[in-house]
Amino acid sequence: MYAIETHDLTYRFPRGLGSSLVPRFDSSAPPVLNNVSLRVPEGSIYGFLGPNGAGKTTTLRLILGLLKKQHGSISILGKHFPEERISVLREIGSLIESPSLYGHLTAQENLIIYQKIFDAPQKRIREVLDLVGLSNTGTKKASEFSLGMKQRLGLAVALINQPRLLILDEPTNGLDPNGIIEMRELLKQLQREQGITILISSHLLSEIEKLVTHIGIINSGSIAFQGTLEELMNKREQGANIVLETSDKEATMRVLEQMHIRATAEHQSVVLPFVHRDTIANIARNLVQSNIALYGIERRNDDLETIFMNVIK
Amino acid sequence: MHTLRIFQSEWLKTRRSLASWLVIIGGLFTPVIIFLIRIRRPHELPPIYQSPNFWQTVWNQSWESMAMFMFPMGIIMATGLITQLEFKNNAWKQLHTTPQRLTTIYGMKLFIVLVMLTQVFIAFNVFMYLFSVLPVALVRDVRYPTAHLDWLLFLRGNFSYFIDCLPIVGLQFLLGMHFKNFLVPFGLGFLLWIASLTGMTWEYNYILPYSYSMQDFLVNTGRKIPVNADIHVFAAIYFVVFVAVGYGMYIGKNEKG
Repeated sequence: MYAIETHDLTYRFPRGLGSSLVPRFDSSAPPVLNNVSLRVPEGSIYGFLGPNGAGKTTTLRLILGLLKKQHGSISILGKHFPEERISVLREIGSLIESPSLYGHLTAQENLIIYQKIFDAPQKRIREVLDLVGLSNTGTKKASEFSLGMKQRLGLAVALINQPRLLILDEPTNGLDPNGIIEMRELLKQLQREQGITILISSHLLSEIEKLVTHIGIINSGSIAFQGTLEELMNKREQGANIVLETSDKEATMRVLEQMHIRATAEHQSVVLPFVHRDTIANIARNLVQSNIALYGIERRNDDLETIFMNVIK
Repeated sequence: MHTLRIFQSEWLKTRRSLASWLVIIGGLFTPVIIFLIRIRRPHELPPIYQSPNFWQTVWNQSWESMAMFMFPMGIIMATGLITQLEFKNNAWKQLHTTPQRLTTIYGMKLFIVLVMLTQVFIAFNVFMYLFSVLPVALVRDVRYPTAHLDWLLFLRGNFSYFIDCLPIVGLQFLLGMHFKNFLVPFGLGFLLWIASLTGMTWEYNYILPYSYSMQDFLVNTGRKIPVNADIHVFAAIYFVVFVAVGYGMYIGKNEKG
């Protein structure tokens, strides 16, 4: 079952003020989102990736009802959205872009605001404060918090109702490396211990590759890739190369040609597509038999960032 | 119970906010000024305190600045500050992802503004009484006023001024919920107040929505201005219309935070 399933979400920003009584839409303008069909499996940590301006935030805002849906359908936790808006929102926690905190109130007071609305037990405030490591902030106002503390308090707000689904839009923005690791560990812990489905957006694959189980890549308003992290890794395997460093590039190329392996010569080496390890052993044997000195055999993988760039090209 | 919890949640947002300070300042300012003016000339006080019209004089003196300036401007500022709480803290998006109907959010915010307005009325009346009798304790020869304190008359007067203020609440709430920039509702409110002040002697002054507390005061104190309609009826109609239009604009917003 999918925690979130969208079908053909298409969205155009209204012309002029987005807040007029009857928003006018420019049908000739290219859509910000174009038939986005997102499938977030229940219990997964789904990384929603894309460069800045690709449509990540717009998609998340549509899913949360912060933008009016124009075309397509949204189903969250098996319920239609926005038709069953209230019951869906009861089970969601969200942190969209910068945290929404009342600067003149303390961390505890900020949480009481949402604890009241969600009718969560009083003790939940202490629990989430402990969870995000803000239990000792006392009477300090939220406006005096560091960016990392604000981000953690934003996460505490998102968790106050013990959600089944957590939607986080670039939650590590502005965090230092240590803060990013802390946030990552916290999210892993939530998914592991409480089985919460997490949809997390980012524009940096390296930032979330250690966290997610599934990945969706969006570019220019369209989904360019969607699948498990394993599937993305397989793409990496497919894109891998073998690099040979030998004493004679031309002779090496000839040997490989005889073996029906297509290769290309680079500065100091010869590059061929990834082959089975038995073939690698054969190549080494043939090179030595042809009196070519073999200095090194190296497997070169595209890193995930390169694959990501290839997907969005 | 759920409505009560949502009220508590909204009310908590006003804690330590500038709007909550305005309630205290708004209620305190005029009574304190009148008190300070009085005790500057203590020798003149004994006959004033024994006058049969003592409470009526206190009432009129206190309401002069309140009806003409403090209430209209106070409402313009306080209503703007309440609605700005969400814009300023970037909190609309979080509020709109809570399991509440949009009608509840809109209605509760308006209710909070009305509760705060009621607080100002209560604070103002309490401080008006306390600072009126304070010279009795501080100045020799000043005795507690012998004039009859007609609570019912004052209550009716308060109610009348409350109705007068409703159009300002309605329109300022509409503007405050719609515009992110605080200066827009404040600037428009200020201009409308100036326009109302200027149009006080106009024969159609009853159509000026920000003028009713001023008209009420001037008529009650015997000043000559045209009275061609029941301003309370107009005030109530304006309030309903402003709230309804504001609600439509809020619900129709394409982007909710």
